Amino acid sequence: MGDIAIDVRGLQKHFGEKQAVDGINLEIASGSLAGLVGPNGAGKTTSLSMMTGLLRPDLGKVFINGLDVWADPVAAKAVIGVVPDQARLFERLSGAEMLEYAGRLYGLPADEARSRAAQLLDTLDLAGDARRLVADYSTGMRKKTMLGCALIHNPSVLFLDEPLEGVDPVSGDVIRKLLTRFTSSGSTVLFSSHVMELVEQICDHVSVIDKGRIVATGTTDEVRGGKTLQQAFIDLVGPRARGGEGLTWLGSSSS
Amino acid sequence: MARLFVQLKLRQLRNALIGSTAARVSFIVSTVFAVLFAIGTFIVLALFRGTYSVELTSVVFTSIAFGWLFAPIFAFGLDSTLDPASMALYPVRTRRLATGLLAASATGAWPLANLLGQLGVVVGLAHGPLGVLVALVAVVLQVLFCITLARFVTTGMAGLLRSRRGKDLAAFLFLPVFAAYELFAQVVPKLASSGKLTQASFAGFDSWMRWLPPGLAAHAIQDASDGHPGTAVARLAALAAVVVVLAWLWVRMLGRALVTADTSTQSRVRARGRARTALPLGRYGLRGTLAARFWVYQRRDPTSLIFWGVTAIIMVVVSIRLILGKTATPSALELNLVIGGLFGSAFAGIFHANTVGLTGPPFAFEALALTGRRKLRAYFSGQNIALVAIGAPLLVAVSFALAALGGHPVFGFAAAAEDLAGLGASLGLASIFSVTLPYPMDKRAGSPMLVAAQGYGGYRFAGILGGLIGTGVLTSPLIVAVALTNADPAAVRMPVLVVCGAVYGLALAWAGVRIAAIVAVEKLPELCQVAIASKA
Repeated sequence: MGDIAIDVRGLQKHFGEKQAVDGINLEIASGSLAGLVGPNGAGKTTSLSMMTGLLRPDLGKVFINGLDVWADPVAAKAVIGVVPDQARLFERLSGAEMLEYAGRLYGLPADEARSRAAQLLDTLDLAGDARRLVADYSTGMRKKTMLGCALIHNPSVLFLDEPLEGVDPVSGDVIRKLLTRFTSSGSTVLFSSHVMELVEQICDHVSVIDKGRIVATGTTDEVRGGKTLQQAFIDLVGPRARGGEGLTWLGSSSS
Repeated sequence: MARLFVQLKLRQLRNALIGSTAARVSFIVSTVFAVLFAIGTFIVLALFRGTYSVELTSVVFTSIAFGWLFAPIFAFGLDSTLDPASMALYPVRTRRLATGLLAASATGAWPLANLLGQLGVVVGLAHGPLGVLVALVAVVLQVLFCITLARFVTTGMAGLLRSRRGKDLAAFLFLPVFAAYELFAQVVPKLASSGKLTQASFAGFDSWMRWLPPGLAAHAIQDASDGHPGTAVARLAALAAVVVVLAWLWVRMLGRALVTADTSTQSRVRARGRARTALPLGRYGLRGTLAARFWVYQRRDPTSLIFWGVTAIIMVVVSIRLILGKTATPSALELNLVIGGLFGSAFAGIFHANTVGLTGPPFAFEALALTGRRKLRAYFSGQNIALVAIGAPLLVAVSFALAALGGHPVFGFAAAAEDLAGLGASLGLASIFSVTLPYPMDKRAGSPMLVAAQGYGGYRFAGILGGLIGTGVLTSPLIVAVALTNADPAAVRMPVLVVCGAVYGLALAWAGVRIAAIVAVEKLPELCQVAIASKA
C-alpha cells in the first residue's frame, strides 16, 4: 500500500440535461480491494467507463499507476483489466477461443495466451464448457468468462462492474478468492456492486456515489461508522421507496 | 378464454400504434401489405376462369399455406401468443388454452386478409349455387388449415425457436425468401414474356398438389361447380379430417410444451477444431489474430452467411435477365457480367460498412487493446483478409458460373477482374464508413436481420449509396478497360485484366485501411459508445 493506483480528479459527464457524474474525486491505493457502491442511476457505470478510457469525460483527469488514461491511453490500457456490467463477449467464439483471443489482443504470444486461457478456464470452473460457444453460456458463465478475459494479461489494476450479478454462490466464492489473491500480490481492484454484504466482507476501501457525486469515501470501517454498511449506505443516500404502504390486499389469502 | 386471448392479441396490435416510431411504421406497413395481399389475391383468384382455373387455384392455395408455414417462424418473437412458454405460468387447462390460442391466431389483419383474399374463388373457380356454397366452406376450411398448421409448427418448434440454433435457423430462412422474391420479380416475368412459362405449366404442379389439403379445397369447388356434389363433399370431409387431426396433434403438443424445459441453455454444440488450434491464424501477430476472429465469425454467424448469400443472389439477379434472353451480343453480355461483379463486390463492402455497430458491445472489449494507428490498421486489415478469403472465391465462382450459363465461360475472367477490383474498393470504403459514419444496430423482434437503430436510417442509406457509387466510380477505369479491349485476343487481355484488377483492388483496400486507422485513433471512445449502444 502507499502508492496511488487509481487517481480520479474532478471527473464530470453529462448526457443532455442530465449531469450523470458531477465532479468526482477518488484515490485508491495500490493493493487495495475497493468497492464503489450507489443506488441505480447514481453514476457508477459512467464513472467506471470514463476511468477505463471507454467514455470521454467532459472534464477531469484519471490516472492509473500515474499514467493519464486520456493523454496516454495506450500505456494506461495496457495495465488495466475491465469486466463491464453487460456482457461484451463474442457470442460465436467458444470460451477457450474467447480467452485466447483476449490474450492475443493484449499482446501475449500465442502459446502463452493458450496456456493462460486453459488455466483460467480451469480456475473459473469453465474447463468442461471450454469448447461450447459463448452464445450458449448462462449469465454466470459469461461473467466468469469476462473475468478471465480481464485477467489474462495480468493487469495491475482491475475494474469490475457488478462482478457477481447472476453468478452462483460457488462460483461467487471462487471469484472472491481470486480477487483477494490478486490484491494480496499488490494489484488493485475497484468494483461496483449493489450487494453491501459482499462489499463489507471483502473490501478494505469503500466509496459511496449518489447523484453523480462521491458522498463518502474511506476505509470500510470509516464509511460504515459502527453500523452495517447497508444501514450506513441508506443513511447516506436516503430511502427511495415507500416500502409497500397502500398494498392493503397483499398477504391476504382471501383474493 | 377465447375472448380473453382475442383481446390480448388486439391489445398487442393496438400497442404497436402507441409504441416506438419503428413499431408504428412496421405495424402500418404490415397492415397496408395485408390489405394489398387481400385485394391482389381476390383479383387473381377471381380471374382464374376457364381452362386451368383449378390448377392455378391449387397453386395459389398451396403457396398461401406455405406462407403460413414459414411466416410464424419469423414472427415468433413478435407475437407472444405463439410461444406456449409465455402461457405456462397461468393455471389454464390445455384445451381452453388451445381454443384461446386458435382464436388469437384468427385475429388480426393477416388472417382476415387471408380469408377475404381467398374468397376470390367465389367469383373465379366456382359457378352455380352449389359451387359457391362449397367454395365458402372450402375457403373457411383452408383458412382453418393454414392457422392450425402455423400453430402446429410454432408449438412444435417453440423450444428450438427460443434457442440460439432456432434463431439461426429462422435467420437462414431469409435467404430462400429473398431468392424466391427475386425469382418472382425478375425471372418469372422474363420466362412468361418469352413464352417459356404458361398457364399449362401449372398442370404438372397440380398433379401432385391436388392431394395436398389446399388442393383438396380447390378441387372440391371444381367438383361442386361441375355437378359432382358427392366427390366435392368427400374432398371437403377429407380436408376437415386433416384439420381435426392437425388440431388434435397440436393440442397434445401444446400440453407437452407447457411442461418442457427451455432448450436455450441445453445446447451441447461445440466449436469445431482441435483444442490446440483454437484460433486459426492466431500465431500470425495481431493482424492474424483479428483475421482469425473475423474468419470464425464469418463461418458461425448466420448474419455473415446471409450477407454472402444475398451478395451472390444480387449478382445472379443483375445478370440473369440478359443470360436467359439469349439475345445479347457477346460484348453486351461481357459488360453485363462485369456490372454484376460490380454490384456483388459493392454489396460485399456495403454489408460490412458499419463494422463497429455490427460487432456491437464486444468492440468495446477489443478497443481496450486497440490503441494506436498500427493496431487499428491491423484491425481493419485483419477484417479484410477474412472477408476477401470468402468474398473473392465466391464472387469469382458466381461470375464464372454466370459466364458459363451465358455460353461464354471466358468472360468470367473479365468479371473476375471487376470482382477483385470492386472487392478492394468496397472493403476500403467499408473501413472508412465504419469509422466516419458508425451507427448502432438494433435487433427487432420478428426480424432475423440486424437493422439500423432508430434515427440512424439515414446513415444506413448513406452507406449503401456511398458504397455503390464509390465502388462504381473507383472501378470505372477497369470497366472502361474491359469495354475498350473487347476486340483484343482473350489470351492477352484476360490475364492482364485479372492481374490489374487484383493489384488495383489491393491498393484501394489498403488505402481505406490507412485512412480508417487515422480517423479511428482519434475517436475510439465515441466508437465504443456506438458499439455499446448496439444490440448486435
